[in-house]
Amino acid sequence: MTELALTGFLGLSAGLFGIGIFGILTRRNFILLLISIEIAMNAAILNFVYFAAFPSGTSGLSGQSIAVVLIGFAATEVAVGLAIVLALNRLKGTINVARANDLKL
Amino acid sequence: MTLSSFGAPFLPEIVLLAAVLLIFLLDVLKVRRIELTGGIAVAATLFALGLIVADLGFAPLAFLSSIPSSQIDQLPAVGAAPLYAFTSLGLVFQAIFLLAAFFVCLASTSRPSDERGSPIFYGLLLLATIGMLLVAIASDLIFLLLAIEVTSIASYLLVAYTRKDVRGLEAAMKFFVIGALSTVLSFFGASLLFGAYGTTNLYLIREAGAAVGYPILVLLGYGFLIAGLAFKVTLVPFHAWAVDVYDGAPDDVSAFLAGGTKKIGVFAFFLVFLGPVLVVGTVGQSGYGLFGGSVALGPSFQIALGAIAVLTMTVGNVLALLQKEMKRMLAYSSISQAGYMLIGIAIGSAPALGGATLQVFAHVLMKTGAFLVVGAVAALGVGPLIEDWRGLGLRRPLLGTSFALMLLSLAGVPLTIGFVSKFVLFSAAVQAQGWFIWLAVAGLLNSALSVFYYARVLKVMFFDAPPVPSSPATTGVMGAAGPPVLPVGGLGYGRAATIAVIAAIIVAFGIYPQPVLGAIQAAAYHFVTVGA
Repeated sequence: MTELALTGFLGLSAGLFGIGIFGILTRRNFILLLISIEIAMNAAILNFVYFAAFPSGTSGLSGQSIAVVLIGFAATEVAVGLAIVLALNRLKGTINVARANDLKL
Repeated sequence: MTLSSFGAPFLPEIVLLAAVLLIFLLDVLKVRRIELTGGIAVAATLFALGLIVADLGFAPLAFLSSIPSSQIDQLPAVGAAPLYAFTSLGLVFQAIFLLAAFFVCLASTSRPSDERGSPIFYGLLLLATIGMLLVAIASDLIFLLLAIEVTSIASYLLVAYTRKDVRGLEAAMKFFVIGALSTVLSFFGASLLFGAYGTTNLYLIREAGAAVGYPILVLLGYGFLIAGLAFKVTLVPFHAWAVDVYDGAPDDVSAFLAGGTKKIGVFAFFLVFLGPVLVVGTVGQSGYGLFGGSVALGPSFQIALGAIAVLTMTVGNVLALLQKEMKRMLAYSSISQAGYMLIGIAIGSAPALGGATLQVFAHVLMKTGAFLVVGAVAALGVGPLIEDWRGLGLRRPLLGTSFALMLLSLAGVPLTIGFVSKFVLFSAAVQAQGWFIWLAVAGLLNSALSVFYYARVLKVMFFDAPPVPSSPATTGVMGAAGPPVLPVGGLGYGRAATIAVIAAIIVAFGIYPQPVLGAIQAAAYHFVTVGA
């Protein structure tokens, strides 16, 4: 593959990353926030896959295997996030991050 | 390869994991007495601590040594890509982490014995500790980041372990969101570095570093990685979450977060920017420096880290001055202390690294102890404001004296370990010459600034009259006339013993720091010059 193709791929993951970070910073609904985190995480995972496909080193299959590990990791992280927000929802009846203001800023 | 030669180096982690499984198994069997689960946790952390101390070459415990000394501080074969490596500095950090876990476990055995969450608390705490131990032996970027996540995920849940406390749950949610953001940043940075170097192994990255140079991919990669790690260490543009989380979390958990888990980021900084990983081979030429001090970009990274260090110290101290609540004041002081540690990373010489490590050790003692005292005082029925502590030092002389020692140590008063660590760190900055002297000056000025708010607490505790007994927040316990709310002793033996031991260690190593100082300086020297 060519440099040009790599630039295109990197543009895709940079876009995904930007969307994800923007979502994390602006979303107030916890579920949408989790989705934003996933989008940004997927940008990193895609990066590992692209770079493994381009002959920039002796990476072998490490990029792809890291990607698989990270997919598993992202799932655990979301599970923990959902557990916390379910417990909070049971107490407060909202999953809106902005309403979680019992702690002063 | 026999089983023992495979498993023995990970004996501390295996012991902790066995304890976690045992605690969760007992939880399923509805055996939840805090004396039992807490006892298991205390025993496991103490045994693991013994194993690590033995590996560090402490002669009386030599029979416990589980890592062959030929495996410590060795460079791997050229081209090899090991996931983990044993460095003596890593072992020092493991010992520090286990010490923090041990103190928190021991102190929290004094909670009510029928508390339902205790197996969850101890299990998650030990899981987080396992992650911390793995951070200290990582030599691969992905291994490092995943180990950090083991700790982070366990600590999100630890903040919310009571499940009934809205403040704890909100703190957990904030912690989760910020933690997830920092995770994403660090993994994205790591993916860019993987693209630039073709590997995630830190040794191979060091070898490839000079050839690759500093294209935009590397700059962005390190930038995102620094941002992600800075969240974990609570460096200043990324510090705001820490105060809310330490404030909202249960007191024992705050002690563990501020005293323990925060330090994994410091060691991650050591690994990524210093040490055998990037400095070996070039350290002889420049004596100090990030990226071996030989590449043009090194100094600008040092200036960036130095600037963040000064900013972190100053902002933390100024905001701590303004706080009215004890826990928030301690949280901001914890942020400012992270700035001192970063000074050592910015300088990057062996003495500076030793100073930063000693600062980490001192901070684990001081901050764990201080938050445990806050928990103890809250258990006595005193309110969260600093004003509520009026006269506490006179009513509870031992507790008050211990807390006073911890605060004096945080302020860096002589004859405490906080003074020794700051002295070593600042003299390393002066030794390094150049603009690093200004880091020492900034550190000294900040120490002077911090004395104000610690002294204010001391004044309130020892020189102000106790609150009137009729005040609803303090009725009964502090007031002589009220009915006794707590059983005699109040604190419980575990908590009282932990606080007393921490205060004793702070003074003992403040007067006679040589044993710890020697071990840490030797480890730091090996860390930056191994194989050179």
